[in-house]
Amino acid sequence: MKISLKKSRVLTSVASAALVATAVIGIPSVAQAADPQCATASYVTQCAGAGADGAPYLFIAAANFNGTVFIWSHGIRPAIDIPATLAPVGPYTITNAAEPGPRSASGDLSVVNALVAAGYGVAGSGFSRQSLNAKEALAANVELIATFKKKFPTTKKVIAWGDSLGSLHTQRLAETNPDLVDGVVLSCPAANPSDAMISYFGDALYGFKAFFDPSIKVGGYSTDPVVRQTEQLANIGKVLTVLGKLSGGLSSGAWPDTASPAGKALEAAGIPSRSALLLVGSMAGIPTRSKHVDGTSGPTGAAETYPLAVAPAVAILENMGTVGVAGSLLIADGELLTGGKVFDNSKTNYAARVASDRDIYSFAFSGNSAVDAMLGALAATPRETADAAAVAKIPGLIGLKGTIAKPTVIMAAESDEYTPASIAQWYIDGYGTQFAAAKDAAIAAAKSSRNYQAPVNKLVMLWAKTAPKYSKFTAAGSPDLAAEIGAGTGHCNYTSAQYIAAAKMVAGAVNTGKFPSQGPITTAARKVGLSYDNKFRVPTFKSLS
Amino acid sequence: MIRTNRQKLALTSALLAVAALTASSLPAQAASDPGVTATSIKLGITVPMTGIASPGYNKIPGAMKAYFDYVNDNGGVNGRKITLVIKDDQYIPSTAVAKANELILKDKVFALVGTLGTASTKAISASTQLAKRGIPSLFVNTGFSGFADAKAYPTTFSILPSYQMEAKIMGKFLAEKYADKKLALIYQDDDFGRDALAGFKQAGITFGTYIPYASGSQSLPATGAGWISKLKASGAEVTVLFGVSSASTAALANAYAAQYKTQWVLGSVGGDATTIAATNKAYVPLLYGAKGFSFAPAPTDATDEYIKLFQSIYATAQPTQTFDNNVVAGMSNAFLAVQALKAAGSDLTRAGLIKTIETKGASFANPFLTPLGYSATAHVGATGYWIGTYDPTGALKPDGGKYTVYTTDSGNGPVVESSYKRPAMPAKGLPN
Repeated sequence: MKISLKKSRVLTSVASAALVATAVIGIPSVAQAADPQCATASYVTQCAGAGADGAPYLFIAAANFNGTVFIWSHGIRPAIDIPATLAPVGPYTITNAAEPGPRSASGDLSVVNALVAAGYGVAGSGFSRQSLNAKEALAANVELIATFKKKFPTTKKVIAWGDSLGSLHTQRLAETNPDLVDGVVLSCPAANPSDAMISYFGDALYGFKAFFDPSIKVGGYSTDPVVRQTEQLANIGKVLTVLGKLSGGLSSGAWPDTASPAGKALEAAGIPSRSALLLVGSMAGIPTRSKHVDGTSGPTGAAETYPLAVAPAVAILENMGTVGVAGSLLIADGELLTGGKVFDNSKTNYAARVASDRDIYSFAFSGNSAVDAMLGALAATPRETADAAAVAKIPGLIGLKGTIAKPTVIMAAESDEYTPASIAQWYIDGYGTQFAAAKDAAIAAAKSSRNYQAPVNKLVMLWAKTAPKYSKFTAAGSPDLAAEIGAGTGHCNYTSAQYIAAAKMVAGAVNTGKFPSQGPITTAARKVGLSYDNKFRVPTFKSLS
Repeated sequence: MIRTNRQKLALTSALLAVAALTASSLPAQAASDPGVTATSIKLGITVPMTGIASPGYNKIPGAMKAYFDYVNDNGGVNGRKITLVIKDDQYIPSTAVAKANELILKDKVFALVGTLGTASTKAISASTQLAKRGIPSLFVNTGFSGFADAKAYPTTFSILPSYQMEAKIMGKFLAEKYADKKLALIYQDDDFGRDALAGFKQAGITFGTYIPYASGSQSLPATGAGWISKLKASGAEVTVLFGVSSASTAALANAYAAQYKTQWVLGSVGGDATTIAATNKAYVPLLYGAKGFSFAPAPTDATDEYIKLFQSIYATAQPTQTFDNNVVAGMSNAFLAVQALKAAGSDLTRAGLIKTIETKGASFANPFLTPLGYSATAHVGATGYWIGTYDPTGALKPDGGKYTVYTTDSGNGPVVESSYKRPAMPAKGLPN
């Protein structure tokens, strides 16, 4: 009997995996359906439907459903169409397509397959609105959980997880509906502690405007939707154009012909454009390592001078594409949703921001005198002042407490240029304070009860650390952008195995009530190329330090 | 009565239990601090073992290890043997961060020791968050005055006097010796040079010509030649070079090539003959007649008990290597580290070690000819300099045939001739 049951489960799992692999993306979204449309074949039930606001969703569970479902929140998608002329950002057409799990948008269903085959349910909404959609995502996720439970009444545990902005949705769901969520996975998490993310994008764009193209917008987009969209696309185009020109002048130090008068004065003073590019990165806190630039390697013949003089700026150049484009999209959307300007650098002390980098990147900055000259040149570009009423609405829009109340696994890359590792550090530090308070409370309680109940650790941080060396160079001595990207760089570059490991780790904690001890976690993390190390720290946001 | 006693007993037990719990909730203590066991202490250093900055500096870890081995062979420190893990950072700050992370996370060292260079030290401190993690960074080999600030760098301790102190002392010397001469200054355009500018300003020295250079750019051929052109044009009679030895090499070599003569005054970091010889041995005599500054006894001074001991230890450990300033620096660093570890006691913790240096560090035995400045607010090591002149072999010899030491601070304090008498070396140079 036991053998028969096991055999049945194995067959179910195999069948599930095979079916999901071929069928998930074949089910069309059904708008405004009161109940999902479901189909069951080879032990696997797949349902598609739409929420009350029209957000399409998908969910899947097999006959061996174990009562635990993963609710996936996908990462950010632009809220405007982007034409092919803005390659590589475009072409993009707004889509609300549902994603039941990580990597599924690109057609890679390996994570979904593995979880369904293991007996888990998976579900995900496409959300009715894109870009800054925390409000819509929260409603969609709450509704999706109810819909899933209605279809699968044996559901006992819900694990929320998501990538990037989707992890903000995930955490928000856990914070606002703790009764609905039993566990959490935050992958490449987004968060905006004290407006640090707005500052991150805004400071970078401000620097580009001040040095390389005064027509670049930092904020103050039109309230007219058509004009605003045109402005956003134009801004993305300008950022990409400047990046192209900076790339061309990396060696010679030549500045873009669109440079501001202050920028041209710096060029005349002999300060190379790469030094100004690095300064912009330092002002914002953009990582000085990128997908193809490790900051420690150099091409043949310049193995020692390249890392000191050039590499930090090249890494900023590679990272700034993401930062500039995302900043153009997100700041404009933030203004739309709050009704006013959200970025404010009227009191920002950029000299303090770059102080700790001056010596570290001295050669690349062209020395302290050049840093002083570049900081001085910023004075020619008026600072941005936010609308206080708009700023007051930001916490309601994308705010998080960062409280960890349920077993949580965070995955973060050390050199993520989009959602910097500082966000993960913010979670870690916040949980450190939270755990210490819980310990104090337990001790206080023990004084009266005479029974000490130690608080249980609820957070496991898995780092994708950036390797010391991974850069490859072309015969011409440029970073080889076709080479494999470095571990621990880029945004949400996790393998299926890493997602699955994180999912199973949190599922285990949800079932047992606690994470295993350090050894098994370390081993599990190492097997998939991640690092579990409580002593590892990354710097906090520059705007917060 | 019995009942009351029972209640008291129960209450006491509960309180004891709570006390025990409270204790266990404290931050990591002796048993859990990495890198230290009942029989061993693991320390780690990142230095340029290869690359443009490696000549000379790459001897420091070997010199440190030689002294640690000597101490280990004589019983260790409080019964513990010291091991030193050495990493090559090539003098590239990003690499230094990676190597420091390896030391902390993979090798699990108890403390960093002797990190070399302002930029690397800053990068490590910022990126690995030494202060927040309570990891000691002992006796860093940089004179940037900021590292002496206990508030900004609570776990970092300098060993060198600050560059600001050096510039103040140098400024007094310039004012007394070359008051009527045209002065020029070549300086590294980072916090190294910034300290120097502050010190010269405090000393009331104004240069006719200022030539900043970005750290690393001295390796480019055009850089040194550009300096000499500017010096020639300015007619500088006395040129101060406040930079690293590779910058001195570039300046001296290009001046020689251009047949340009000036009185060179070299900062303590920039007058290392080993480094200059690594580029071209023929350049070493170009040091002849230049003025230089130091706070340690000269490596050739066999009358100094520390130098004598260090020479003996090093000759055994590294018989094929020349005993020079870098060796003295490395062995002095190790000597001070041993003094600190010894003073921290048997119950060795990171927090305890830091506290020990702050409270007792100023009185640690050490080879330097100036007082140490360690306190709860200042993490500065040596606090002064003696002035000398380079001989044709590149050795710095004290002016007047004896060490006349000047001491000052990194603030507005005066430069005064020191009456400091260095205490006698502990027996056999072992921790006492």
